[in-house]
Amino acid sequence: MKTSTEKARETLRKELKSKPLESVIDGIIAEKLNLNTSVLEREKYFEIPDKMVMFYKYSYGEQSRFFSELMNHAKLQGSRCMKCGIVYFPPRSRCSECYGEIEWKEVSNEGTVLSSTTSWYATSEFFDSVPYAVGYVKPVDADTGMLQRIDLKGREIVEPGTRVIARFKERRKGVVSDFWYEIME
Amino acid sequence: MISYAQLKGEKKRVAVVGTGQTKFEARSPEKTYYELALEAALTAINDAGITSRDIDSVVYGIYNDLFERQIMPDTYVHDYLGMYGKSGIRVTTGGATGGYAFRAGYSEVASGLSDVTMVIGVEKAQDCYDWAQGKTTPEVIKSIAYSSDMTWEFPLGTSAASSYAILASAHMKKYGTTEEQAALVSVKNHGNAISNPFAQSPMKITVDDVMQSRMISYPFKMLDCSLYTEGAYALILMSEEKTMRMGIKDPVWVMGIGSSNDKSFTGSRTVKDRMGKYGDIADLRNHYESAVQAYNMAGIQDPEKVIDVAELHDAFSFTEIQAYEAMGFCGRGKGGKFIEDGVPLMNGDLPVSPSGGLLGAGHAVGATGVMQIGEVVNQLRNRAGKRQVEIRSGIGLAHSIGGPGSSYCSVSVMGVD
Repeated sequence: MKTSTEKARETLRKELKSKPLESVIDGIIAEKLNLNTSVLEREKYFEIPDKMVMFYKYSYGEQSRFFSELMNHAKLQGSRCMKCGIVYFPPRSRCSECYGEIEWKEVSNEGTVLSSTTSWYATSEFFDSVPYAVGYVKPVDADTGMLQRIDLKGREIVEPGTRVIARFKERRKGVVSDFWYEIME
Repeated sequence: MISYAQLKGEKKRVAVVGTGQTKFEARSPEKTYYELALEAALTAINDAGITSRDIDSVVYGIYNDLFERQIMPDTYVHDYLGMYGKSGIRVTTGGATGGYAFRAGYSEVASGLSDVTMVIGVEKAQDCYDWAQGKTTPEVIKSIAYSSDMTWEFPLGTSAASSYAILASAHMKKYGTTEEQAALVSVKNHGNAISNPFAQSPMKITVDDVMQSRMISYPFKMLDCSLYTEGAYALILMSEEKTMRMGIKDPVWVMGIGSSNDKSFTGSRTVKDRMGKYGDIADLRNHYESAVQAYNMAGIQDPEKVIDVAELHDAFSFTEIQAYEAMGFCGRGKGGKFIEDGVPLMNGDLPVSPSGGLLGAGHAVGATGVMQIGEVVNQLRNRAGKRQVEIRSGIGLAHSIGGPGSSYCSVSVMGVD
């Protein structure tokens, strides 16, 4: 007869559909970095190789509509407060100024740079793309601006007040980086 | 809000009676974050002339769980300090963590819930390590970049520097502030740090050194940016009644606290809203509002005349220029000229950041704002050693900011009788 401990282990093994993702990643890290898993020693104080990894199924909530219009139709959706008239970009599902109900509204691809910076140093994920500009762009028919990449086209900086137009990636995934802005000449 | 004058009349003020810190260093592999906190706490307790039993509650300023590699790090510090049985809470508001932790500590004592509260800021950032690059920085800035909105901003490649650089670019465009003016802040603060034995980056540098340092995020160069630091700073706060009972010799009173959070979606600081009177994306609107609140409580009309010393948050040199204006030290758009004229230098009329600020002393995020308040306390009680400034009216100010687009700001005005 199985003990209750054995039964519990058996149940858990059944629930485990595949090798845990984290141990897959551990394998890749060890292979890529040729990490010595033994404890490193700096003088007499220990520093050990370590990591924190989390996986998500990240939900966009009511903002999903922006991403579906972006992904499927290459269109930019803002939202307009039906009470005070503010046009939000990025859209909000409720007005933060007066709590009024909103209606979805397509905004222009053309906009103005409120302010920007050119990044020459970044996290490793973005090392390859430096220098790149990010800045707040306000579409001509919206009241607020959204952070976005602005193509430098050989320039070093993009001045506040510069007119820009949205361009869309051909293969879009429903993420904010599916589009960017280009300077209008 | 009850005015300082009324609190004074009713003997219900709150004092800082002790300070303690560790050395601010890039790396301290010989201490964990709770060991750092303990070292600062022991020094502060000793400085106040109390025992740990006198402490009723603790407020912890610890910014980033990913730095400490620990969710709820405060609970382990609490245990390590032997504070079991007492209330302990944590505050985390980005770079402004220290300033807001102080606000929470003040509230503990001012409300009467505690007679003595310890406020400890601690951070240990550089356990973050990018094994592929063999470097610390990319991983540290990644853990901070996770403070950008994860839906709308993080995927674009944001950093703390880019967030504040956008504000600086707007200020340059609107008011004509220059990179050379910002460089003067870096020269001043790295220089001030030379007289601070606890500072991480004491350096004698020139404007050219700053201008020629590596570009990070335009208009910020390497020497416009503070460095990540490991360290802790502790303050002991006490009710006026208890200071009298204990015969505390030189209490430094909290005269005013003002705190304001602006919109974190920085691009929405364009609509005509409640804070529109302070300006737009070029102006740190919540810094203006925090100063107004703090001055109202303290009963201060002419800050540039009565403030003897200030510690302003210079995570980036430009931010200090923007803060001169928001704190009312000079007119709107005149921050660049303010430093050109030498007013905030050690020998100027209003010395700013004698500690060296974040650029010179280091940015141990949760500890930073606490350090700034501690520096003002020690200046006001004439215990700042080689970097002591002249105390005339006996009033000082500490400015603590953080968050995306500097959305957090807390200003503390301190004074001696």
